[in-house]
Order: sequence, then structure tokens, then C-alpha cells
Amino acid sequence: MVRPRIEVLDKEEVLEIHRRSTSILNRVGIKIDHTEALKMLKNIGAEVDFDKKVAKIPEYLVKEALKRAPSSVRLYHRDGKQYIDLCGWNTYFDVGSAAIYYLDWKTDEIRRPLSRDLADVAKVADALPNTHIMSTALVPADIPETVVDRWRMYVVAKSCSKPIDTGAFTMEGVPDAAKLIGAVVGEENVGKKPFMIFAICPSDPLQWSDITMQNLLDCAKYRIPVHIIPMPQTGGTGPATIAGSVVQANAEFLAGMVVAQFTNPGAPVVYGGSPCVFDQRFGTNCLGSIEVGLITAALSQLAKFYGVPCAYYTMVSDAKAADPQASLEPAFGAMIAVLSGINMAVGSGMLLQENGISLVKLVIDDDIAGSALRFARGIQVDAETLAEKVIEEAGPGGLFLKYKHTRDWWKKEHFIPKLLDKRPVDPQGKSKTLNTAAKEYVEKILKEHSVEPLPPDIEKDLDRAMLDILKKYKIEEMPRW
Amino acid sequence: MKEELFNRLKEAVTNGDSEEVSKLCERVIETGIDPLEAIEKGLVAAILELGDKWERGEAFLADLVAAADAMKAGISVLKNELAKSGKNIEYRGKVVIGTVEGDIHDIGKTLVGTLLETAGFEVIDLGADVPRQKFVEAVRQYNPDIVGMSALMTTTMLEQKETIEAIKQAGLRDKVKIIVGGAPTTDDWAKKIGADGWAPSAMSAVGLVDRLLGIKR
Repeated sequence: MVRPRIEVLDKEEVLEIHRRSTSILNRVGIKIDHTEALKMLKNIGAEVDFDKKVAKIPEYLVKEALKRAPSSVRLYHRDGKQYIDLCGWNTYFDVGSAAIYYLDWKTDEIRRPLSRDLADVAKVADALPNTHIMSTALVPADIPETVVDRWRMYVVAKSCSKPIDTGAFTMEGVPDAAKLIGAVVGEENVGKKPFMIFAICPSDPLQWSDITMQNLLDCAKYRIPVHIIPMPQTGGTGPATIAGSVVQANAEFLAGMVVAQFTNPGAPVVYGGSPCVFDQRFGTNCLGSIEVGLITAALSQLAKFYGVPCAYYTMVSDAKAADPQASLEPAFGAMIAVLSGINMAVGSGMLLQENGISLVKLVIDDDIAGSALRFARGIQVDAETLAEKVIEEAGPGGLFLKYKHTRDWWKKEHFIPKLLDKRPVDPQGKSKTLNTAAKEYVEKILKEHSVEPLPPDIEKDLDRAMLDILKKYKIEEMPRW
Repeated sequence: MKEELFNRLKEAVTNGDSEEVSKLCERVIETGIDPLEAIEKGLVAAILELGDKWERGEAFLADLVAAADAMKAGISVLKNELAKSGKNIEYRGKVVIGTVEGDIHDIGKTLVGTLLETAGFEVIDLGADVPRQKFVEAVRQYNPDIVGMSALMTTTMLEQKETIEAIKQAGLRDKVKIIVGGAPTTDDWAKKIGADGWAPSAMSAVGLVDRLLGIKR
């Protein structure tokens, strides 16, 4: 059996990209708006200009950092028992994070999300079999912006048992998040059984903001997993060429990797990325464009070359509604993710470039993810599956439905989609469209699914930890949602 | 002769050839052509045409950015001559833009700036990571019709609010209209922090400025 896979670069090209990225780190350097990080880089041998805030990082530091980096990163579920390993060629699907709009599944209206919408998304993600990681998908508008980053984590931790992809918008975001994680899995387990992974986004090109850098340093110290997410826009904040975008994203990732591994050797770092096409006709950042597939597939090859796990935004659509575009873009993305061994395929449920979450898209994406994962499993070839015996038994004109071989194998060989319509044609022409089926499915999950509740004492600790955080912002009572 | 020079100016702006534009503007001065006429019939005419082309999907943003730079290169060559002539370029309005402090994203506000320039506005770009006080000083110094603030990160949009506060405290709030934008911002947010307007994209920022200044096209 050949595992289906694609490679978009040959070995020489991977090496060439690595060389160009390290050359840029060494000659041009990275601007980091964070004195502590710059001092640390200077101490370990980087050439730092403190006025310009630019660090030029020599290649031997990159090599040493990569040596220290773990080859797999484990994401726990909230229960501290189940986990997924981001490593090798495994792909896990992840809901897109931090959308500022919600596409209401009942009304199709695009509006600002509320905390209860986020809880709904968490509950649906909890129920979906091919969506493995939930995220702090929405930025609720019913909580002050100063504390909304941590509030999202709390809402999702209460409403979903799966690992959580999140991020902090503030300097104190990560230490506070560590308190929330600690309340659930125990303070001593924050770095041992983390159920959150943090998005760390450098600001293309070649820059790191103070908050992002602080978040990276804090996560490394706590050993909370991160995915470092360069986001070059072809022709905007990155070169217009695919290869150039890969070189730049790689340089930005490597800079973050050096900071993390020299802050705390072995810090769990995932090679992330959200490259996009800058559409010069409209000035928009497009994540559903097919070239994004080429860039992410190339980045995945770089990650494998370095021996680190990877995560890329491959499931986001640029569509403005849950329409055909909203499904065809992630369908390409999901296939590219599994075929190029992207460990975390990020962006399920996400559209409006990166600004919206739709439950209709999320449940359809789950069927897309299931289909792609099935394809990636490839073809099992052995005496049983070659089925010569049963073909012989059935003979010319035989019916395979009658044979045990069929009962044994049909369900093993096929992915059974929940929403894609395989029913017979309805004689009255009343077949449901995919969107109708998806809405009904969302409604059913919200009505019938129950999330494994947190043990009462843990829930109390989590509530207390959140209230302590809120009190710092003069919110004295737990908001209702 | 004059017409030919204007046509060559237009062509050079359209090609984004700053060097050629500067050279041609030197010729304008040497030959004693009215600098304002050269600006209007050469530089500005070219940029407006290109803006229209872009709206029709016949030009790309990279063309616009290069053309806007070329136009500005030409204006800076003609600036002194223009001052001597006692005439002024008739802009549709004056806009100060910048990305707020803590945010190093340049692209959003640069695009807005370019599109405003191609729509006939004078744009003063303060750059990225602009401290509150610098916005305040710019309002004092340039007396613009509009101040535009960009924030590209959920982490930095709070600074838009602080900057508006700083403009208020300096007693300048009623002298200028304030608009905000950037990926994480929303109409609600703009209202909440007391901005006069918000646009969801660079493309729609021009329409917003037109509306706020009562310009009909």
C-alpha cells in the first residue's frame, strides 16, 4: 500500500528554501518589539540592533533550536486522559479561531457573535466525529474587549471536551490562561497535560509585535503548545511568488522557534502558517485560493525536513455565505492537508476570509474532513481485499450482497457521510439540498447532543479562576450566557 | 509641445516610473509651463484614470501603488514652483492616516491611502505604530478633514479607543472626523469608541470619506 501523498518540492528545493530563509535571518534579520527577547537573542549569539529592534540570527542557532524541538506535540482533551499526537503524517481537523462575525444558522444573518453562539459552536464541534480540535472560534461581543480573549477559553472549556486552539490578545493572556488550564487539569499539569494550543502570529513581513512575542515567551515557559503562524500575503506583506512566500514564512517561523527553544528547551512548538493570496483586484486576503494549497503543502515539506509537527489554515473559505464556494474551497484544502501530511488542518467552519464562523459550513466541513481522511487511508491490498475468492464464488452474474465478505468489508472500506446526499432520487423532486440537510443536522446536535460535563468540583474551580480574572477588569459577577 | 509633455507625464505615472516623472517635471519647470496645469492634466489625470481602470478590473493594486508614488514624486519636484505661482492643488479633502501604536501592520492603511489618493484626496501617512500623541499633533499641524486609524490585530484595536480619547482631551475632537478600520474592527466597535465612521475594506473607505465630506461623484 502506498500512502497517497503529494510533494510539491523536490529535496534540493527544500534545502534551497531552508538556505534562503536562514540567509534572510542572518543578513536581514527579524524585527522584534520586545526588549527581553532581543536581550536573550543577543546573549545566545545573535547580532542585535536595539535601536532598530532587529535581531540577525545566525544559522547555528537555528540548527540548535531545531535539535531541541520536539518531533511530536500532544494535545490533551479536557479530561487529561484522551489526547491526540500531532506528528508524522496524521491529520486532525481544527475549527478556525477568533472570527468576529457569526453566520446565524437559523436566519443566515451575518452578525456579531454572543457568548452563547460560541457555546453552540463548541457543542456542535464536540459532537462531530471528524473535527478533532475545537477553537475559541468566535470573539463574543457581549464581553469587554479587554478580557474577551480569556473569556472565550472559559466558554469553550465549559462547552466542549476536545482540545482547544486559542490565542491571547493581551500581555497577561497566557499567564491567565495557565490558571484556567490549571483549574481543569491541576496546576502541576499545565505543561504536562495542556488541552489548549496557542496561535502565535508574527506580523509579516519579518516582524514580531510585543504582545505576540510575550505570548510566545510565556507559552514556552509554561510548556503550553503553540503554533507559530506566519501569514504572508502574496504581493502584499510577502513576495508575489509561491516560493518566495515559503521562504519568508519559513524565516519567520524559524525566528520564533529559536526564541522558544532557547527560552525553554523542548518547548512544544508546531510549525504553523496561514499564508494567503492578496487579491490585487480588491485588496483582500484570500485563504481559499488554490495557491494557498501550494504554499501550505510546501511548508509541510519544510516541517517534515525539520522533523517538527505542522498546522496550516487549509479549511477557510472566502465565501460570504454558506454557498457552494464555502464547501469547494475547504474540499480542496482538506485533500491537500491529508495528502501533504499537515498535522492540524485549521479553519473548519470558517468563511468570510477569516472573519466568520458558520455552523452550516462546520458540519459540512466535517463530511469533507471525513472524506479526505478516508482517501488518505489509501487502498489496503492483501488476499482478503483482493477478493479473488469471493469473486470466484459469486461468479458471472452473482450478487455480492449475499456474501459475508461484503458484510465484513463494506463498512470498513467506505466513509459514510452524514450530509452528502446518496439517497435515491425523490419522485416528488423533494430531495434536500446540502444546506437544508446541514441546518437540520445542526438543530439535531444542539437539541440532542450532551457534552460530557466537567466534574462539579473542577467546574467550581474553573468558575472561580475565571471570576478572579474578570475581577481584575472590574467585572464582579459572572456574566450570564 | 505642452500637450505632448502632459501625455508623456500621464504615461510615466501610469507606468509607475517615478524617475521619468521627476525628469519630465523638471522639463515642466524649465519650459515655464504652469505647474498646476501639469499636475492636474498630467499627474492627477493619470492617477484618476488608473483608479477607474482598477475599479473595472483592468489594473492591479501594485500598479496603483507605483503610480501614486510616481505622482507624489512629480508633485514634490513641482512643489516650490507651485508655491511661487501662488496656486494650490485642489484636493477633494485632506486625510491623515496611520496604524495605531503597538500595531506594526502597514498594508491596510497604505492601501486606503493609495485609494484615497487615486480618488483625489491629499493623504498624510503617519506610518505604522503611531503613538496617540503623534495623531494629536498631526491634527493640530495639518488641520485635516479626516483622521483614519488602522488596527490589524485584536490585540491592538483597543488603542483606537485610546487615540480617540487623546484627540478629545486635546480639545480637537470637533475639528476633525475620525474613521477607523482594520480586520478585527466592526461598525459596532466604531460606534462604541465614538468614531464617525467605519469601512469594512480599503475599497469601501473612499466611499466612506466621500460620504462624511458630502462629496458626490
